[in-house]
Amino acid sequence: MSELKQFKLPDVGEGLTEADIVKWHVQPGDKVTINQIIVEIETAKAVVELPSPYEGVVAGLLVPEGTTADVGTPIISVEVGPDAGITTPPAPRGSTSADLVPPPPPESPSPSPSPSSSPAEGGTEPGIEGTLTPKEDERHAVLVGYGVKAGSTARRPRKAAAGSGAAAALAGSRPAVLAKPPVRKLARDLGVDLTLLSGTGPGGSNTRDDVQSAVRGLETAGPAAAEGPAPAAPNRFAPVTAVAREERIPIRGVRKHMAAAMVGSAFSAPHVTEFLQIDMTETMAATARLRTLPEFSEIRVSPLLLVARALMVAVARHPMINSSWDEDAQEIVVKHYVNLGIAAATERGLVVPNVKDAHALSLPGLGRALAELAETARAGQATPADLRGGTITITNVGVFGVDTGTPILTPGEAAILAFGRVKDAPWVHQGQLAVRKVTTLGLSFDHRIVDGELGSAVLRDIGAMLEDPLRMLAWS
Amino acid sequence: MAVNDAGRATSADSSRGGGQPESAEFIQLLTPEGERIEHPDYPLEISAEEIRGLYRDLVLVRRIDFEAIALQRQGELGLWASLLGQEAAQIGSGRALKPADMAFPTYREHGVAWCRGLDPTRLLELFRGVSNGGWDPAAHNFHLYTIVIGSQTLHATGYAMGIQRDGAVGGENGEAVIAYFGDGATSQGDVNEAFIWASVTNAPIVFFCQNNQWAISAPLERQSRVPLYLRAPGFGFPGVRVDGNDVLACLAVTRKAMQAARDGQGPTMIEAFTYRMGAHTTTDDPTRYRLAAELETWKLKDPIERVKAYLIRNELADESFFTELDAEAAELGARIRKACLEMPDPGPLAIFDNVYAEPNALLEAERDQYAAYLESFEEAVR
Amino acid sequence: MTRLTLSKALNEGLRKAMEDDPKVLIMGEDVGKLGGVFRVTDGLQKDFGEARVVDTPLAESGIVGTAIGLALRGYRPVCEIQFDGFVFPAFNQITTQLAKMRLRSLGNLILPVVIRIPCGGGIGAVEHHSESPEALFTHTGGLRVVACGDPADAYAMIQLAIKNDDPVIFFEPKRRYWERAEVDTAGGLAGALPLDRARVLIGGTDVTLLCYGPMVKTCAAAAAAAGEEGRSVEVIDLRSLAPLDTETIFESVRRTGRCVVAHEAPVTSGLGAEIAARVTEECFYHLEAPVLRVGGFSTPYPPSRLEEHYIPDLDRVLDAVDRTFGY
Repeated sequence: MSELKQFKLPDVGEGLTEADIVKWHVQPGDKVTINQIIVEIETAKAVVELPSPYEGVVAGLLVPEGTTADVGTPIISVEVGPDAGITTPPAPRGSTSADLVPPPPPESPSPSPSPSSSPAEGGTEPGIEGTLTPKEDERHAVLVGYGVKAGSTARRPRKAAAGSGAAAALAGSRPAVLAKPPVRKLARDLGVDLTLLSGTGPGGSNTRDDVQSAVRGLETAGPAAAEGPAPAAPNRFAPVTAVAREERIPIRGVRKHMAAAMVGSAFSAPHVTEFLQIDMTETMAATARLRTLPEFSEIRVSPLLLVARALMVAVARHPMINSSWDEDAQEIVVKHYVNLGIAAATERGLVVPNVKDAHALSLPGLGRALAELAETARAGQATPADLRGGTITITNVGVFGVDTGTPILTPGEAAILAFGRVKDAPWVHQGQLAVRKVTTLGLSFDHRIVDGELGSAVLRDIGAMLEDPLRMLAWS
Repeated sequence: MAVNDAGRATSADSSRGGGQPESAEFIQLLTPEGERIEHPDYPLEISAEEIRGLYRDLVLVRRIDFEAIALQRQGELGLWASLLGQEAAQIGSGRALKPADMAFPTYREHGVAWCRGLDPTRLLELFRGVSNGGWDPAAHNFHLYTIVIGSQTLHATGYAMGIQRDGAVGGENGEAVIAYFGDGATSQGDVNEAFIWASVTNAPIVFFCQNNQWAISAPLERQSRVPLYLRAPGFGFPGVRVDGNDVLACLAVTRKAMQAARDGQGPTMIEAFTYRMGAHTTTDDPTRYRLAAELETWKLKDPIERVKAYLIRNELADESFFTELDAEAAELGARIRKACLEMPDPGPLAIFDNVYAEPNALLEAERDQYAAYLESFEEAVR
Repeated sequence: MTRLTLSKALNEGLRKAMEDDPKVLIMGEDVGKLGGVFRVTDGLQKDFGEARVVDTPLAESGIVGTAIGLALRGYRPVCEIQFDGFVFPAFNQITTQLAKMRLRSLGNLILPVVIRIPCGGGIGAVEHHSESPEALFTHTGGLRVVACGDPADAYAMIQLAIKNDDPVIFFEPKRRYWERAEVDTAGGLAGALPLDRARVLIGGTDVTLLCYGPMVKTCAAAAAAAGEEGRSVEVIDLRSLAPLDTETIFESVRRTGRCVVAHEAPVTSGLGAEIAARVTEECFYHLEAPVLRVGGFSTPYPPSRLEEHYIPDLDRVLDAVDRTFGY
């Protein structure tokens, strides 16, 4: 029995991809022995004679003379096997000579292709149909790994979980989400979707704090409304009984954040606090009159509104008070806008949301903004944006029923005004003893930026405006 | 070589084209017609059996070469560097070596490999692309093939310096090194440095240059204006030119030079004047740069034909000897073909084997990654 | 326009350069009579003579060293190193002399030497014929390093390299020598992309795939395959390896947010490492994933039966693309 073997065109010279068939030295029906020259090919580099890898009978010439074939194309088929020809190749005659190639062994007929047979060789392959088929897995004389492989144009299929984890991302591209890589990891670890945050970092990127604030927002179960000042986490003094004598409250969330901010502020900026006791009577009257105006009918007007306005007028007169110390850049950054922070005590602790561009708001607008701010803060819904970017702060300690305090600067700011309670007190008014509405203003400032003269001037100005609100108008 | 009064070459050494070189120094003991001649400096005692043995070597080595070329043309080898025409230089010098001598080949010394006892199928790995070597140098004192031209001459020189330090120079058990290289290699810096080192250290080394006249398409005059063997005195050791197609002369000259080295007399350069009958490698096409007439001239100086003529004329071998040898050659060819076709491919992770002697964490990690990558496909590669 | 192989495109480019400037010389082993082992210099010695197309002795250090001398005398030599693995005898001349002489001369000297090196694997060759040593040269200040990826670029780039007054290491992808493409040999260089620019070969939106030389074709095929799967890959042929066209690279990565570099050379200390560092530094805020590299392993180039495992193929390139989406 025989089998049909095909010889595929090899790469004969380091990377050739094709060759021209120049001349066949055999024709179908010829017997061939191993290493007998069967064809001449021409490559980009050379004309080369190819020896037969098989012994048997030529079944068909698969590429006609004069055509170009790619490396790897079958060019000849040879029927091999006991029926097909000689089993052992004879020693090539002239093995001791300097001949490069052996002459054909005497047993096989000398092939000389006749002109009429050449053109027909390409198409007709007698004997192949029906009886003989090449084996699937036979080793072809093709340069596997030699020459230039064509290179695949399709992917090989991979197993299901190929470790790429990219299935989800295949459905088109997501919008760009800017975040430092570590922030991404934090977001992923905490289950925060960065695409839902508005970043407060450089270029609008999301920062670690943005992510953590979002987490805090997630943790808030619902509005935790509290009327008036919410006490700090209560210290319960346990009676001396069998009940635990100490209680441990984990430091986390807003408290943790605020504590860190306070420590940072207190121990980097040298704080100086100055006090000024003033007669608030005129301001209190003005406040009452404002409430009657239609522009303020929907707004809760409190003395804080005028204190805020006075502060901003003072800032306009003394811009340096509205600045921050940039240690890294070794610069003092004077802000020409006021993001007015109002310290608010909430159930979860102290937060300082700010009103953006408060200096540009009308008085009713400012009133509305302050009211909203207070509401949002009390409800625990201040956003990270609300909490960032403040330039100066008022802390309303009066609601706690104290006269004043030595407030700690909001980090990144140069001054904070403590507004204490307004009480009836004896005062020298127009040379006479009288009962007037009196309050004590306390102004803490960053002594690196603000010297005594400036701090005093600001405090004096605020005091002057609150003693006579008309000054706010004159100085605007 | 024509020389003017100042000692400068006035023309390139044009002896390549045919006939004897102009210089008288050309050791020959067997003419192309198969006649024995004597040379006073190189007496050769050799028996008929030994000559028949040499003839057998020549025939079988040529058959190996022939089979390998065919295998390349059939796509079973990526490349082959043929030694056609240079058999005598390699068999002659190879048979002059003692077992303890060390040989540093280039990439064409299949005849020397044969003499060293290396099975010819081992030569196939490199050309088939299964490995970059194919044998253990220590097994037959035959170094791996070096493809970068001339590099091995420095290795050979260093090895010879090692022999000196082992006290293995001189006496009955002296050892020496033979370094093979071609005419083109003599232009490389490394080869010239090797000459310097071997000379100033008096190393036990023979530099065996097979001047086959061509370095790919560069004829000898591209590399030198003087015969190559005359380089050696410039470096401080003797040079001798031998008919590279004369197996007896190559044997005798190499024996003498190797013994001198073993005895501690230092290096010798042997220029075996021969011809590269085939292409540089199977990717080369010599018809583009040399004339067929040149080839024809050298066919008349075939190294094997002259030995056959000698044996027949002197009735030292009968018909059955030649017939049996032809059969042996055919068998050898078939054995090489079979070994080639059956040679297993290395598995993909073999890339990571044998790179370092010590453990290398980076490489281990790469290996693991690649293994995992291969596992991730539905169907394995090949 | 004519359809040329990359080898022939280089041949035509060299011919044009030699016609344009009589100072241009070609020198190397077997470049004259034989026309080069890849036929890149075929026919040039016949037309321009032995003084201008020089068959040199077998000595790479000599080729580069004498080229330097010729350049000092006012010539513009184009050297051929026959195969990448044989450049090392010349490495001394290239790094200690060719790269440094202009600086040494405080700008008085130019060394307009081009060193052509067929590079890369995939041709089934023996040792030293399949290397990718480009990083050794990009790491050497004073040299320009370029790699052509297709016939049209080869034709233009070889001429631009010859006209350039700096020493240029010119890498040619040997397994692509026989690829054919349309080349405009009549148009001239006026509209050609400058030698120091990268080319966006295929526009895309999801990931930037950087490549050069022999990997350009592979990456183009990979991008096409990825496109079938609905992923838009932008393929950039770097062309200039030193200096890198960072403007093009960064503009792309800032758009796509992801970057993969593919080369045949080993990943360890390869050009991809340099690119990854720069991209990370300049496009940090735009990166959705780290820059990934695909390339050879940290081993010598393997025997040819194993090379298809070493050289990154379409699947390996796409594997890296997949992985950038896993972050």
